[in-house]
Amino acid sequence: MRRFLTVLAALATLSLTNCGYNAIQTNDEQVKADWSEVVNQYQRRADLVPNLVNSVKGFAQQEKDVLLGVTNARAKVGSIQATPEVLNDPAAFQKFQAAQGELSSALSRLLVVTENYPQLKSDALFHDLISQLEGTENRITVARNRYIKSVQDYNVTIRTFPTNLTAMAFGYKDKPNFTVDNEKEISTAPKVDFNPAPAAPAAPAK
Amino acid sequence: MNAARAFVLALAMVWACAASADVAVPPLTGRVVDQTGTLSSGDIASLTQSLKGLEARKGSQIAVLIVPTTAPETIEQYSIRVAETWKIGRKKIDDGALLVVAKDDHHLRIEVGYGLEGSLTDVTAHRIIDEVITPKFKAGDFAGGISAGINRIIKVIEGEPLPAPAPPHWQEQGAFNGAALLNPFVLFGFFIVGGFLRTVLGRLIGASATGVVVALVVWLIAGSIAAALLAGGLAFVVAMFADGFTPTGPGSRSRNGGWSSSGSSRDSDSGFSGGGGSFGGGGASGSW
Repeated sequence: MRRFLTVLAALATLSLTNCGYNAIQTNDEQVKADWSEVVNQYQRRADLVPNLVNSVKGFAQQEKDVLLGVTNARAKVGSIQATPEVLNDPAAFQKFQAAQGELSSALSRLLVVTENYPQLKSDALFHDLISQLEGTENRITVARNRYIKSVQDYNVTIRTFPTNLTAMAFGYKDKPNFTVDNEKEISTAPKVDFNPAPAAPAAPAK
Repeated sequence: MNAARAFVLALAMVWACAASADVAVPPLTGRVVDQTGTLSSGDIASLTQSLKGLEARKGSQIAVLIVPTTAPETIEQYSIRVAETWKIGRKKIDDGALLVVAKDDHHLRIEVGYGLEGSLTDVTAHRIIDEVITPKFKAGDFAGGISAGINRIIKVIEGEPLPAPAPPHWQEQGAFNGAALLNPFVLFGFFIVGGFLRTVLGRLIGASATGVVVALVVWLIAGSIAAALLAGGLAFVVAMFADGFTPTGPGSRSRNGGWSSSGSSRDSDSGFSGGGGSFGGGGASGSW
């Protein structure tokens, strides 16, 4: 009898590790680490922006609107705290993503504008800043990709049987993932219009 | 019947789509992988020689890959996939770099591992592409462009303080060390656990339990199922036949501890493999 009980206790301990508690912990930590990398790279981009704005300002002062847009978007990004708690709050996650998306589009407007200033484009400092920005954008893409994958692993773990029971017992919820910012825009085919738009010639006349 | 046929057809189409989706990452056959036949064997040999020299001196690994095209992916997406598959660079030091050329797309990229991002910055990589490689590519001199670019990268890496390269025939880091099983503490633990379980459970069940426990512990520590099974079996035999705490352990087995995973193939380049370095998307792209 005593022997039987001992064996039973050993089996119970073994089966506990099988209910997926450890797997959830591992996946959760992985998600957190990948999220930190995403935030890290976004921070790197945010740090680049002031220098970039300054170097453009020297050559293209008349592009005030665009420069102001970038500066404002940068300020907004800086005001959002991107702690790992964001991951458990879909609304905060949405807000973070929206702010970063705004900075992305402001930066791309700035890059479009700089095409009109050959002197700026040949400036060595500007050139270096642009290569840093390109590299950082690519790092952001990679970090986001890895985050998406680890969130997928995590969500699959806590939603499949039998680990979903463990997740329920300990209150683990699935984590939000990145979505494309402009889903609607992408799903409609772009219109190509070869007629000169009436707004375009009017702009230089001002 | 018709429905089944339609289903099979749909499945086949999905497979066909999946197969044509992305360019496959070629196997890492050497430091220079040329899928377009652009480089002569002499070019490849001299490039390999200088890359091998770098690894011997500094420990960093660099690989070159030339593909016809990366479509439908961009070169950035493709090259990070290659980097993640090949794992160039030493593990934990992450000092690998990759030069990917998509010849028909007229795109190229230098992918830089985490450990080299400090010296081979995005700016430096961009300059190397713009000032060293693309002028030669524009003139159609691919071999010259690649070797000039690689030489520049090597020079940059030489200025970076990195941990010294491991001596050849070094046992792979992180691999399970068989000798750890013969560590006196581990052996002692075996006998204690084995003796205890055997008195409680009897000879056969006690020995089996010891084997299971030891296998679990080894699996947790070493993370290798093969090593765990080996250790578990060993412990079972010891607990079954050893008397009490008298260590009549398998002392003659110690020869097993010294196997080395990377053989003597270092002389030829066919044995080249990535050391487990990781990449985070650093580097620069360019076109010509």
